[in-house]
Amino acid sequence: MPYDLTAISPQLILSGGCLLIFCAGAFWRPRPEGLLFSLAVLAVVGAGSAILVGLPAAAPAFQGLLALSSYSRLFSCLFLGITLMTLLFGRQYGKTRGFAGDELYGLLLLAALGMLLIADSVNWVIFFLGLELLSLSLYILIAIEKGNAAANEAGLKYFLMGAVASAFLTFGIALLYAQGGTLEIRPSLAAVTPAGIPWLLAGLAFILVGFGFKISMAPFHLWTPDVYQGAPAPVTAFLSTGSKIALFVALTRLAVLLGEPAWSYCQPVLWGLAVLTMAVGNITALYQTRIKRLLAYSSIGQMGYLLMGLTAVKQGALEALIFFLVVYAVMDLGAFGLVGVLSGEREDLDDLEGFQGLGYDRPWSAATLAVCLLALAGLPPTAGFMGKFILFRAVLKGGFVVLAVIGIITVIISIYVYLKVLVALYMQPAARPATLPRTGLAAGLATAAILILIFWLGLQPVPLLTLISRIAGALTLI
Amino acid sequence: MFPWLTLIIFLPFLGSLLCLAAAHHRPLWCRVIALGASLADLGLVILLFFLGLTPVSGPLGTWLLLEDYPWIPSLGISYSLGLDGLSLLLILLTTLLTVLSVLVSWRAVTERVDFFHFLLLLIETGILGVFLSVDLFLFYLFWEIQLIPMFFLVGVWGHTRRLAAALKFFLYTISGSLLMLVALIGLYLLHGGQTGHYTFSLYELMDTSLPLGTELWLYAAFVLAFAVKVPIVPIHAWLPDTHTEAPTAGSVILAGLLLKTGAYALVRLAFPLFPEAAGLSAPLLVVLGLAGLFYAAWLALAQTDVKRLVAYSSIAHMGLIVIGIGVWNLVTLNGAVLQMLNHGLSTGALFLMVGMLDERLGTRNLAEMGGLWGKMPVFSAFFLLFAMSAMGLPGLNNFVGELLILIGTFQARPVVAILGFLGMVLTLIYVLRMVQEALFGEPCTEQHTWDINLREGIILSTLALALLFIGLYPQPVLQILGPPLEALTEPARMLARRGL
Repeated sequence: MPYDLTAISPQLILSGGCLLIFCAGAFWRPRPEGLLFSLAVLAVVGAGSAILVGLPAAAPAFQGLLALSSYSRLFSCLFLGITLMTLLFGRQYGKTRGFAGDELYGLLLLAALGMLLIADSVNWVIFFLGLELLSLSLYILIAIEKGNAAANEAGLKYFLMGAVASAFLTFGIALLYAQGGTLEIRPSLAAVTPAGIPWLLAGLAFILVGFGFKISMAPFHLWTPDVYQGAPAPVTAFLSTGSKIALFVALTRLAVLLGEPAWSYCQPVLWGLAVLTMAVGNITALYQTRIKRLLAYSSIGQMGYLLMGLTAVKQGALEALIFFLVVYAVMDLGAFGLVGVLSGEREDLDDLEGFQGLGYDRPWSAATLAVCLLALAGLPPTAGFMGKFILFRAVLKGGFVVLAVIGIITVIISIYVYLKVLVALYMQPAARPATLPRTGLAAGLATAAILILIFWLGLQPVPLLTLISRIAGALTLI
Repeated sequence: MFPWLTLIIFLPFLGSLLCLAAAHHRPLWCRVIALGASLADLGLVILLFFLGLTPVSGPLGTWLLLEDYPWIPSLGISYSLGLDGLSLLLILLTTLLTVLSVLVSWRAVTERVDFFHFLLLLIETGILGVFLSVDLFLFYLFWEIQLIPMFFLVGVWGHTRRLAAALKFFLYTISGSLLMLVALIGLYLLHGGQTGHYTFSLYELMDTSLPLGTELWLYAAFVLAFAVKVPIVPIHAWLPDTHTEAPTAGSVILAGLLLKTGAYALVRLAFPLFPEAAGLSAPLLVVLGLAGLFYAAWLALAQTDVKRLVAYSSIAHMGLIVIGIGVWNLVTLNGAVLQMLNHGLSTGALFLMVGMLDERLGTRNLAEMGGLWGKMPVFSAFFLLFAMSAMGLPGLNNFVGELLILIGTFQARPVVAILGFLGMVLTLIYVLRMVQEALFGEPCTEQHTWDINLREGIILSTLALALLFIGLYPQPVLQILGPPLEALTEPARMLARRGL
């Protein structure tokens, strides 16, 4: 079969854009920041439109390495959306801190390429390449503010943690390969002989640990608050949505493809991990007084809900899970992005005290942050409520009553966390000089988009749900 | 068919957006817009009385007006609103009290006026939605939407300990509601599993046949959510704090309307959806109602803060309503619903007056008051009138409602009725004490008091007229309530549900 390069045009556009940005940044003096930014946006939009219009409806697997299925296309679009939002949030932020340029934009594109590869991969090698591409870009992005010691420390921490996670993953993949003799994901998940089952399960356990680090699943979550706190806010937004969702997309695919009897061993483990992650994330968040640590634990809690959905994925929770992933992306991106927008010219807002009175000084940005927090808390009429409602409905329908009740109790606990931030934003007087940075055009656009999306998905989820129900049927066919 | 109900629900919302958008830094505009929107909404509700509506039966039950559109068909969620006599009276109360709340805040609220009116009108939208939804998902949506603006209202414009109060209010209510959400989804799945038709329609869900154990669990979750709002003792602890800290308009909305959503939901949802569990646990509900009546009255006796006193009296009155709902016959139910209106009017009025006192004297401490009768005769007369109404004096509104509840209860459970009567005597004592200490006795030292102005006069006389009307001629109100309550208590349907 000849190479059909049009099938992978989104990936090619991203690679091309990224290389162009790096070259222009290296040889063009002074660095044309505006041009680089436009180039990055253009590459993301171009790749997105290539996905939406350029591909045939049911593209075949590319060389047995990439499955260009509707499942991966949906998430590729989501990843490009996340990248676009991060670009918009990051520009003003990076400019005031002096790191907007080829590194930021080029690495974001590279990370986006990594996420696309993860979403598309039907082969462990491609998956691993995508993951490393994503992680390497993130190591640098986290520490992109060179003079910032906290960011450098965060970058190092993420690097060490990432190395450990990769080691676990590689060993798990090796065990699967030893057992099944193939690196294709689907056949590698089936035991060749009954004697292979323990090897398969051992491999899966190692892989789960590797994933667990990356998606900050308890008990592998301890790096999360430190890294989130140290990294620049837009990068944190990207880290907590893009990289986690990419890994979760792959994890979901593994769960769906995993057959019996391995799944019946995995399900109780996932059940326990979901409970643990929900409880640890939401309860620990209660004690946080620094915004990024608070949001970090909150995002761990949200991962718990996703794991809850994953537990019930074979009982019909797949669509709800996909919907919640999209919703999670919007609200977490908004929350971290707006912390960046609201931060002063030098350091990120840290203590909750820094937020006092901001609700009135920066009404739109603060209101959007408040809406994101209400969405994370799962209150109507936001997307967060619709996402949680659909997820809990699916989990209950799958018969996991105890899991759902534990889940809802952690939701109740978590609400206090978000209210604390709202109290600071709106109910405590300001203790801050009156000079406030203005929101740039790009960040303003991103803010508006987040606000609209949160209410739109909360009130009119039908179009997305219809799309997802078409996709969910196709996933098992990969 | 013109979407009257949608218009009624979302007109305040439009007004709230206008407040926020058009009137930044122009406090007067905000007030005028809010007043206009709430008055127009009140006008629309009054207009409903003149439309000559007749009940129409359909697949979704019997309603005077019904709006039903698909919303999320794949999940069985539709946007359905229904109006019957029960909801008609409650939305009338809602729109009336919102107008009065806007008026009472005219001078009292001076900071962040646009935000304040935005929230006030947003709450109105939420409450109207609760009273009109006949799709349980929609109901739940409005049920939670009303919380967020109330949280801000208490937290931003409240008194010294407002943050703790706002958080307490929110956490108490949300804990109940989220467990109800699980039960709601459970009911929906069970119904869908039985019939193959997944729907959140209230009327269709009533036909679910449930094993008793399951029914009890689901009922418990629903009642917990509603009981927090009512509030039923022992989960009432949020109310006195929230009331004490809330701004006057917040207290009026809270006591007059938010508490009613809880009682309304008991009548509309919890009992009809789970008749068997409701029947079994009715004695418990009655006992809790009695306990609330006595306990809150007992605590009210000890209060020195007049606002806290009114708050406890509010819990005590709600206790009587709970008894009326728990006994569940046509007479007590008529009394209970009538009493919801009365409670909204009387307690709302008392909170308004306490707010006015606070504006004038700068204190709510009963010990620092006294002798107001001489200084502010008109104010004092109104205060006395509302206090008498709260005591349940004949000729005033509360008397009718309380009498109906006690008569109906006496037929079914005489002991409860006798105890309930004793509880009302307690009410008499603490209200008299409040009147005595505030209006009469040693005059207070504060010199800067003034009698009511025209705006306050309009507010108070509107309420006074409403009290007198219900007290002297309750027949029209009871006539409106008749058909829906008869349908709710109709024994035939209950028996059919149990498969007898």
